[in-house]
Amino acid sequence: MEILQYALRKLIGGLPLIIGVTLVSFALMVYFGPDQTYLLLGKNPTPEQILEVRQQLGYDQPFLQRYLGFLREIVTLDFGTASTGERVTELLAKTIPVSLILILPGFILGHVVGLLLALAAAYWRGRWLDKLIMAVAVTGMSVSFLIVIIGFQIVLSSSDGLDLFPVRGWNASSLASYLSYVTVPTLATMFVALGYETRFYRSIIVEEMSRDHVRTARAFGLPESRIFFRNILKNCLIPIITRIMFSIPQVAIGGALLIESYFGIPGIGKATYEAIITGDQPVLKAVVSLTAILFVLVVVLTDILYRAVDPRVTLK
Amino acid sequence: MSAVALPGVAPVRARGESLWRKASRKFARDRLGMVALGVVLIYFLAAVGVWLGWWAMGWPDLSGTKWEPVSGTHWFGTNIIGQDIFDRAIYSTATAFEVGLIVALAATGIGAVLGAFAGFFAGSWIDEVLVWLMGVLDAIPFYLFVAAVAYALTDNPWAMHLAMISTFWVGTGRLIRGEVIKLRGMEYVEAAHSIGVPEVVIIFRHILPNTSHILLVQASVMFVGAIKAEVILSFLGLGIKDGMSWGLMIDESTKEVLAGFYNNFLAASLLMFGLVMAFNAVADALQDALDPRKVG
Amino acid sequence: MPGQAPVPVLRVRDLSVEFVTEEGVIRAVDRVSFDVLPNETLGIVGESGCGKTVTGLSILRLIPMPPGRIASGSIELNGRDLVPLPNREIEDIRGRDISMIFQEPMTALNPVFTIGSQMADVLCRHRDLTRRQAREVAAGLLAKVNIPEPASRLDDYPHQLSGGMRQRVMIAMALSCNPQLLIADEPTTALDVTTQAQVLQQISALQVEFRMAVILVTHDLGVVAETCKRAVVMYCGSIVEAGDVASLFSRPRHPYTAGLLASIPRLRAERLAELPVIPGRVPDLLNLPAGCRFADRCPRVQDRCRVERPPLAAADAGGRLVACHYPL
Repeated sequence: MEILQYALRKLIGGLPLIIGVTLVSFALMVYFGPDQTYLLLGKNPTPEQILEVRQQLGYDQPFLQRYLGFLREIVTLDFGTASTGERVTELLAKTIPVSLILILPGFILGHVVGLLLALAAAYWRGRWLDKLIMAVAVTGMSVSFLIVIIGFQIVLSSSDGLDLFPVRGWNASSLASYLSYVTVPTLATMFVALGYETRFYRSIIVEEMSRDHVRTARAFGLPESRIFFRNILKNCLIPIITRIMFSIPQVAIGGALLIESYFGIPGIGKATYEAIITGDQPVLKAVVSLTAILFVLVVVLTDILYRAVDPRVTLK
Repeated sequence: MSAVALPGVAPVRARGESLWRKASRKFARDRLGMVALGVVLIYFLAAVGVWLGWWAMGWPDLSGTKWEPVSGTHWFGTNIIGQDIFDRAIYSTATAFEVGLIVALAATGIGAVLGAFAGFFAGSWIDEVLVWLMGVLDAIPFYLFVAAVAYALTDNPWAMHLAMISTFWVGTGRLIRGEVIKLRGMEYVEAAHSIGVPEVVIIFRHILPNTSHILLVQASVMFVGAIKAEVILSFLGLGIKDGMSWGLMIDESTKEVLAGFYNNFLAASLLMFGLVMAFNAVADALQDALDPRKVG
Repeated sequence: MPGQAPVPVLRVRDLSVEFVTEEGVIRAVDRVSFDVLPNETLGIVGESGCGKTVTGLSILRLIPMPPGRIASGSIELNGRDLVPLPNREIEDIRGRDISMIFQEPMTALNPVFTIGSQMADVLCRHRDLTRRQAREVAAGLLAKVNIPEPASRLDDYPHQLSGGMRQRVMIAMALSCNPQLLIADEPTTALDVTTQAQVLQQISALQVEFRMAVILVTHDLGVVAETCKRAVVMYCGSIVEAGDVASLFSRPRHPYTAGLLASIPRLRAERLAELPVIPGRVPDLLNLPAGCRFADRCPRVQDRCRVERPPLAAADAGGRLVACHYPL
């Protein structure tokens, strides 16, 4: 009960953030954005048609009114119609699940493997394994995601390469087919994420290893392995949780966008990209709002998770 | 990176040696860091040459035929319409430095100033507003933001730079804010305050200089981040508009690659990888050198 | 020390501890020898960086082993040399035969585990107890160090306790397996004066009750005077003087000891213009002078001092040792 009250309070506290995000996005994209009138009208519009469309689009209204209209759209979850003719909400319902199952394996594996590598690197700090892992991590960090995607595509999917996986497209109707289409994107995501995650986790673990209480545990005869896996790791949980939680919003839109556009996977990222290119405002507005809400949810959830793992944190 | 702090042994430092001088000594001893620095300097020289008009100016010229292989006249071959890939790659180096330096310096500056203000006045409305702003900028998806800025500025060629600066500064801002909150409680700040030094002066003369090691590392991280982001943005059509960049080269090369011609792709990728990797290594070595707890 | 009836609990002979750094090899502890007799409190005194903490840590092999190493010497616990023992056996000794407490009670305990859990960890490690039994024993130990409501304290987290209480918890943990020797590294430095007195008193009382020897490492001469029977003065990695505290303080033989004592602010009959200080600085450990390391700062220095290092030798028949060519 206490947790729910706390969550509610934090969510309400997140409102200024949502307002901020929507305001900035609205101002940039819609208000200062391209004038859509002529896009909708085609050639040789008459003055009456122009006026009508402008009214439809709300261009004659003052900023505040248009912004409030936007907010109403968010609350009612009714963003109108996309340029493809579908309702935006339907589009979202169609594309979001695809993005989820696309991103999830890479996301989870990226963090899990990153954590494992970091553990190994930290435990054998200074030895050759540590140096090797860190060298691989720096390499992973130094390659652009785009290059990794293209590279993997060439090596794994193309006829010049191993030709093991489909070059583009998406078909998740069966498990085999899903695996076939999801592998190259997953590998690409992991390759890039590993670099950053491994380094970050390693630095967290190493920092915890140098704390006084570790020396105390050692001074009382506790064996090294136990100290590492029990005393040190639990202290690392907060930064680890923070990292994982806050990479969710980024990965959700950013990562998906590039992969989906490149591989032609019909997820929310591709839809967003197309909306950007065509200036499809209803879709853009929807995506921005959802991202803002997701962000606030992540913040609240993270706070609650902190409480669960660190006794020093209190719910206020 | 096997450095450990020594318990009970006073850090070995000559009398009156500042953090920077000691750090430079340590950095000079880091062979990997020095080699990487050398690599970065070579790239930088390449960029300078372009800026001064010494080479690579023929990058848009149709000087060859389609997809020529590596040869004496065209060191990396030519692309699909016959332009020299080597020239384009070198010219892109200059673009990379431009983007990287502009974004890194501006974002570091903004992050430092705003972060310092937020930290110094932590808890007050100034801080609340700045923290809110940082949250808002974090929450907007990066690509959308770039697109939005591009729209709002009607395809101004600086739209990408502005968008990057507007989002990149937040990371630095947060770090500086945290550091300033810590430093604010230090006695020398209290002392300055008590003799009437105005707050703005305290922030800029006394506190910020003590965060310079953070700022340096952050600037290098953002330099690399900007270059990498440019690649993706140019590929998506949201990046560099006039001129040539590695991102644009890779964008071109995606069709070429499917036809089996890899020169364009490899040239841009490898060159970019080299600069980013070297810069990362330098940033790492720098961080190690600046860490006062590590010895050897 | 003359070979008398009591067999020393700890016998350190010619212990040298080095650290390999990029700038060279630093010898933080240079051929240090001393004995600790049962039930006595030995003080190791000196300024920061003199090697006293490293000495204390090396006994339990708590210095990071690269870059540190025990270059030579022996550390005998009841006749058994600890230096060549494998790590696993040292782990057995830590907390059971020799315990150590540290300077910063705020950070010495793990913040995400309860007091009870951490104490149980130690108890179950060395004694054959279940977690539940360990809990009971822990409560008893907390009572012994005068922590109110010990049973409920077991479920508290370290941040819920004050600095003084945390230090007492540390002491309780250190004593939980009845060690023969307690090494206390600046146990009161981070505490305020009143709490300092309490903690020191606690240690003394428990020492008697548990019949332990104590090594007290500190820079605070006042603490040494109050609690130690014998003391060893370290400077720049080696021992410069050793003896029983009462005579050491009333009649120091080494110029450094004399300088330390003179620089303590205290009430005097006549007012001084300035507080006496020892001029100069501690030599750089990478650039040690030949000869006596105190030579540059010594008011009594002679030519011989700069060339020949004085060995630690008996100054009189009463057990005093001094490393000086021209002792006071």
